[in-house]
Amino acid sequence: MKGTIRIQVNGVWRELVVGRDVEPHETLSHLLRERFGLTGLKLSCEEGACGACTVAIDGKAALSCMTLAVELDGRSVATIEGLSEDDPVIRAFAEQCEPGYGTALQCGYCTPGFVMASKALLAENPSPSESEIKEGLSGNICRCGCYSGIVRAVQYASRKGAKGGSR
Amino acid sequence: MSKPFTPRVARRFIGKYQPRLDALEKARGRAVYADDFANKTRFPDMLYAKVLHSPYPHARIKRLDVSAAKALPGVAAVLTYQDPEVAALKPTSAGWTDGVDTVSYERMMWKRFRDRRVLGDTAHWVGDDLGVVVAAETEEAAEEALRLADIEWEVRDFVLDPVKAMQPGAPLVHPEVAPDNVLPPDPVGGGNVFLDKGDVGAAFSSAEVVVEADAAYHNATQCSLDNWCCLVVWKDGKLTCWSNSYEADQSRMHISQMLGLPLHQVRVISPFVGGQFGRGDTGEQPFFLFTALLAKRTGRPVKFKHTRRESFHDSRQPAIYHAKAGARKDGTITALQFKSVGNAGAYSDHSMFALKFAPAEVAEVAFAHIPNLRMESYGVYTNMLPACMMRGVGNSQLNLILGILVDVLAEKLRLDPLDLVVGNFGHQWAAPPDKSLKAVLAEGALRIGWSEKRRRPGGRPAAKAGELRRGVGFSFHPGWHAEWQEARRGQIQVGIKLNPDGTVMLEAPTVEIGTGSNTCNVLGCAEALAFLGVTPDRIQFSNVVDTETCLKDTVQTDSAVSFLQSEALTVAAGELKAKVLAVAARKLETRPEELELSDGWLSVKAAPAERRRLTDVLWNGDLVPIGVTVSRPPSSERTGVPFQANFAEVEVDAATGKVRIVKLVIVNDCGTVMYPTGAEAQQIGGQCMSVGETLTEEIIYDPATGIPLNFNWIDYQIPTMADIPDIEPALLEVWRGAGEYGACGIGEGVLTCTPAAVANAVYDAVGVRLSGIPFKPEKVLAALASEARP
Repeated sequence: MKGTIRIQVNGVWRELVVGRDVEPHETLSHLLRERFGLTGLKLSCEEGACGACTVAIDGKAALSCMTLAVELDGRSVATIEGLSEDDPVIRAFAEQCEPGYGTALQCGYCTPGFVMASKALLAENPSPSESEIKEGLSGNICRCGCYSGIVRAVQYASRKGAKGGSR
Repeated sequence: MSKPFTPRVARRFIGKYQPRLDALEKARGRAVYADDFANKTRFPDMLYAKVLHSPYPHARIKRLDVSAAKALPGVAAVLTYQDPEVAALKPTSAGWTDGVDTVSYERMMWKRFRDRRVLGDTAHWVGDDLGVVVAAETEEAAEEALRLADIEWEVRDFVLDPVKAMQPGAPLVHPEVAPDNVLPPDPVGGGNVFLDKGDVGAAFSSAEVVVEADAAYHNATQCSLDNWCCLVVWKDGKLTCWSNSYEADQSRMHISQMLGLPLHQVRVISPFVGGQFGRGDTGEQPFFLFTALLAKRTGRPVKFKHTRRESFHDSRQPAIYHAKAGARKDGTITALQFKSVGNAGAYSDHSMFALKFAPAEVAEVAFAHIPNLRMESYGVYTNMLPACMMRGVGNSQLNLILGILVDVLAEKLRLDPLDLVVGNFGHQWAAPPDKSLKAVLAEGALRIGWSEKRRRPGGRPAAKAGELRRGVGFSFHPGWHAEWQEARRGQIQVGIKLNPDGTVMLEAPTVEIGTGSNTCNVLGCAEALAFLGVTPDRIQFSNVVDTETCLKDTVQTDSAVSFLQSEALTVAAGELKAKVLAVAARKLETRPEELELSDGWLSVKAAPAERRRLTDVLWNGDLVPIGVTVSRPPSSERTGVPFQANFAEVEVDAATGKVRIVKLVIVNDCGTVMYPTGAEAQQIGGQCMSVGETLTEEIIYDPATGIPLNFNWIDYQIPTMADIPDIEPALLEVWRGAGEYGACGIGEGVLTCTPAAVANAVYDAVGVRLSGIPFKPEKVLAALASEARP
């Protein structure tokens, strides 16, 4: 594969020469982290089992470790860095302290992936039930086990209207 | 619906529900972890290191040729066991890097078991790293170079089963340490019979009731998402290492002594870490050293990071327990006996901590009133993944057998097991019933609905095929590491600096692994500085530990950091107050004894109405911050320990054998709940992890080849959100330890009791005893089938 591809990253179009700026076999996660320094997404299993590398491709949640960068030609990708500090999902994850449910994050390693997956879930279904949240986010692993807090955070964001906030 | 915790003593910040202080940084993806730091955009000339892994469970490299690997484009350096700087490295033990206290090579805990070589020539399990390590421009080139290494192997016989490994003629894993594969007695762990009180033989002969039980604990593994990673720069005689280890000062000591560098020429920096769960205590620490040697040889920054597959590098200590209890008919336990065989795997690490040290501690604080007690254990080398530390080390294994044994005994005595526990267990600082134990059991029983749901003891028929039945069960455990075990810990160091504008620089270094002790520290600091009236948002705290600029870090181990540092902070705050008063007195031309300082206001005792802001006084003359540093041993005054309990409700499908956990209740007596939101997060998180250990997680081997088959997260099944039952956390303050807060950590204990609670609930539901976790459907069906046989 040769030539130039164009990818919109967090709203900015980037032109990449294949073979120089991106390799044909390069994963999207590698491109974003190692070439653009967008290290918010995390690499843990690198085989589609944990969800830590979740980004949004054309608004839908996608595993960046399972996507080749060149597949993104002409498409857009949003990472956690593209969300504003006031994003309602980010705020809800950060502020969860409702008694009985713990926090929505501890070590924080899975959190950007959970936030991106939650954004995509709420975009599709603005008022998910508890079981829809559990099903919708079951592709992400939180080894600290903040699942109770995450459910509360997503419910809270849903009530606040989670569609706003992304740039 | 959960009932929020109410503090015993109302305080300003401690004991309040509130968000974590690092939560926004993390939720925005701005928290920087080692893997984020070791990035091409920061270090364009960075090389990637990859190490050879053995394809055989037991083998030695007979001949090695790396010329093709060296010639591969993109390869910067190839190091092998034959290189002098590698061959010169001392034999070591991964247990060294357990950093409760900073220990030297000479003082490492298990120095009789130095069974590891850094990049040696012999493999002891499939996946063992050895022989060759490569640094290359890309990860792909490094991996390709390893494939080009031409190796002739001497393949040896292997053994996976610890019971077989104990038999004469079994293949020997480390004959230099253990001539019969059994780890020999040593001064730390003790003898094979490491505890022998009273006369258990006589007690069993005279007991009115004797019961026995079995339990097998398996090899779940930590699965921190943040795979081991380091970046090393070694230039001009100085080595800098960024790492995601849970300790910085101990890593510095390790690197210094193994590589022969003075301490001041080694700098270790630990930023945020994505989960620990015990992995930092064990295994694979040699990667720091070979990465460093590659950095020296190439003169470039070198990164080493485990893949997910490589991250399966150690597991919880598997243990096969058999136990016996003797009692009088009135429910007085007269004798307890435990015997275990532990599969240590390929390296001893901390196996004897899990098998002897931790159970002996439990005996001291839970079995103090059992007159006859015998504990015996054998740690056995095999050619499996090394095993030892995981969250709740040794305690989880002992609790499974203890919880089941108590349930079996209560059944035989036709007693409610809650009464049996309250009547017999506790520490020597209080006679039974122990108030804390009684309280956690009562709270849990209430929340699970024990009196309505639990069947009466005796005469329970086994479930028939096709039935769906529910049951409830529980287990209990002494609390972890109150001031109890602190006598062996090193000094805790903290510092507080007051700026002239009234803001505060807090130094309480500890690596942020997710526990929330950072939040606890800042809240504890604000609490202790009530005389300044400072709020948490005006306290600066760094989540990055750097051995060049920080005090010694308090290691994230033993569930102890929150209360250890908070207690030290109360002392530092007292010293700071004295210094502030001295400075204020000088500026006001009076004597410190004449001054009062409260909530940030200064007044003269003689005229309390005429007060002025401390900051107005400090903002005069020189603006030098006022600082104190405290270094003190933790309090080891003995006041007993609090207790915890877990209650489980399960639904068992007798047709499929599936165990569904319906609800879990986790009750912890914390002494003082420092940060309830964080404590509940630990309680809930512990349940999530233990649901995996109890039902699904295990490493599976091919017995014919010794190859582990599921080193990935598809086949090694970690619970996701969809797998988690209703979890109810309950926090109590009944017991109280020494010091300002008298708190007790809970981070590890929270997953200790779940497997036994579930096992007992399954018995209550379908009338069969399960002994080996994980309780997979095939085990339940087999147990039901064997019960149904006449």
